[in-house]
Amino acid sequence: MALRGTYERYLNRFGWFCVAPSVLFFGVFLAYPILSSLYYVTRRWKGATNTFIGLGNFVRMAHDSIFLQALGHNFIFMAIQVPIMIFLALLLAVLLNQGIRSFRGAMRLAIFLPSVTSLVVVSVLFRALLQENGLFNNLMIGSHLISAPIGWLNNSFWAKVTIMLAITWRWTGYNMVFFLVGLQSLDSQIFEAAEVDGASRARQFFSITVPLLVPIILFSAVTSTSGTMQLIEEPNILTFQGGPANGTMTAALYIYRQAFFVNFDFGYSTAMSYVVVLIAGILAFIQIRLLGGERATR
Amino acid sequence: MKRGLVIALALVLFAVLVPGVFAQKITVWCWDPNFNGYSMKQAALVYNKTHPNVQIDIVDVAQDIEAKISAGLQAGGAGLPDIALFQDFRIEQFLHDYPDGFVDLKAAGVDYSKFAAYKVGPMTVGSHIYGIPFDTGSTGLWLRTDYMKQAGLNPDSYAGKKMKWAEVVNLGVTIKAKTGQPLLSYQSDNFDMLRIVVQSTGGQFFKPDGSLNLRSDAFKKSLALFKELNDKGLLYPVVGWSDWINSINSDKAAGFLNAIWMVGTVKSRPENAGKYMIVPTPLIEGVSGAANASNNGGSSWYVFASSPNKAAAVDFLKSVWATATPDTLAFYNTILKGAGAMGTFLPSQAGSNYTAKDEFFYKSQPVYKDFAGWMANVPVLKYTPNYQPMRDAVAHAMLKYFQGQIATVDDTIAAAEAEYKQVMGQ
Repeated sequence: MALRGTYERYLNRFGWFCVAPSVLFFGVFLAYPILSSLYYVTRRWKGATNTFIGLGNFVRMAHDSIFLQALGHNFIFMAIQVPIMIFLALLLAVLLNQGIRSFRGAMRLAIFLPSVTSLVVVSVLFRALLQENGLFNNLMIGSHLISAPIGWLNNSFWAKVTIMLAITWRWTGYNMVFFLVGLQSLDSQIFEAAEVDGASRARQFFSITVPLLVPIILFSAVTSTSGTMQLIEEPNILTFQGGPANGTMTAALYIYRQAFFVNFDFGYSTAMSYVVVLIAGILAFIQIRLLGGERATR
Repeated sequence: MKRGLVIALALVLFAVLVPGVFAQKITVWCWDPNFNGYSMKQAALVYNKTHPNVQIDIVDVAQDIEAKISAGLQAGGAGLPDIALFQDFRIEQFLHDYPDGFVDLKAAGVDYSKFAAYKVGPMTVGSHIYGIPFDTGSTGLWLRTDYMKQAGLNPDSYAGKKMKWAEVVNLGVTIKAKTGQPLLSYQSDNFDMLRIVVQSTGGQFFKPDGSLNLRSDAFKKSLALFKELNDKGLLYPVVGWSDWINSINSDKAAGFLNAIWMVGTVKSRPENAGKYMIVPTPLIEGVSGAANASNNGGSSWYVFASSPNKAAAVDFLKSVWATATPDTLAFYNTILKGAGAMGTFLPSQAGSNYTAKDEFFYKSQPVYKDFAGWMANVPVLKYTPNYQPMRDAVAHAMLKYFQGQIATVDDTIAAAEAEYKQVMGQ
């Protein structure tokens, strides 16, 4: 009895020893920042000084049309880009899994490569292509698709399209990899049976492949949605500080600029971060409910 | 055997640690290896002549240098270098928001009467002065003589000419009609060119009490001028600094409006040789106090109070950048021609390069003499700690005006004021 107690205590100690590093890192890099944010959020920060303003930051936010507009941009990107990207990723995965027989490895690599390429490189490339007399405009004018050059980076509407193109180009391959793995785990007998029953390829795709991949689609949708809520690098580098004229300003970029660039106001930035986290959480919850996540995650 | 190992280890430790103990290392952050990085490197060479044991590391922090510095200041100096370069228009905000972040160099014995007075203003808080002034941003209109000739114009008749903007617009229309080239390469999301025009009129963006001052005649006339340039197709718009540099070095326009520090960039492309001519900054008509001269940019060196090598960093800046010796004067002379870095240390302005002809420019124009001459007439611009949000807000409103989302000059000003207040939380 006594022996067993000692052993359990030993196991306990050993267990704590094993998790100690991660608990330590969790404490320093997650728990502490979250707790201290409760202090930050009630203050108006200005560099080295700060004052208590209670819920003042939230009142300010409600009237800050730039922040509200930035959140709107996040929603636009999310509503348009995420579904397109997931559909494309799924389509590419199916094509790579079945249709294309030769060069499959090379194709997979080519499609996955953008997501591991440095964003700075990507931006330099895109900006060279998208300049007023860059390759895109020149090709389209040359083939008489358009008569005047499109302001891909200058015009508020087209800059949003540019951002969506860039994120889609960068992350489709990444999501495709998950779908490929999912496809490979599907039982080929189901498809053979459907084949025998005379179901077309398209019918098989929509009636068998998609439903069976729901858990992975859900995973992709949730990570992509929260990724879009945190979108910061593309508008900062590609369309330059959320330009043109805040046309691609996102919530995360505005938070960053308020804290580190324009105002050094860490309190206001913390308050805005709370709102963004809350929204991302609600969206994830809705998606899990809509796509039957309980069944899916079992 | 064991003892041998111990001795060997001790020797290795000694070799590693000793230079760390006796030699000092100063780290400097700046952002342009062809310009301020180059100048700092030349300064380090001068200092190492008398202090061979001090190692000066120059780090190029091109992306988000101010965000990195503000994060470091917020963390009490963690991760910061010993010395950093700040834009003159940005430093007031840092001095205001981080009052204990920087070393008072006046207290350290720097003689500020030897520097151009307008550079000392932004770095002064009460009786404290914090920086070592670096370069001037005296501006001019840079024109490509090859396109002028193609358009049937004689560049010589424009050399040194103090033009009015109406003449410049005519020049641009002619060049555009004959060669198809827009007159000016223009960063459409950026405030700098507007600032050059407004400052040349003697206009200010802030009132003496620190509140916004965008409803001046000078500002309205400048906005209207930009709209005209834009509507007549005389601007080649690009987004971001690097694209702007690219557009200049890939023949996208027949010129640009900017400061002397563009010399390094223009010279970095051999094909530009003999093509550029620089004429005085054009004048806005009908504004009292306007001059054919303006300023853009200009930056200065600062020492962080958190630096463990404060004393060495201050001594380095003081003895190379703020003391007149034959070596330091030669250094200022070198960086002028090497990178177009025109120092603001007054004793240095007798250097031979200040009057020298430069064979890289059209008909070997003595560009440094010209820029220095214009400098004397530049109206002084006051920045205030809130310059950055104003700068963004005005640039945004102006772009919307260009693109027709805002119809009039007055609405543009109202939009800029509104955005400024939003960002400032006022």
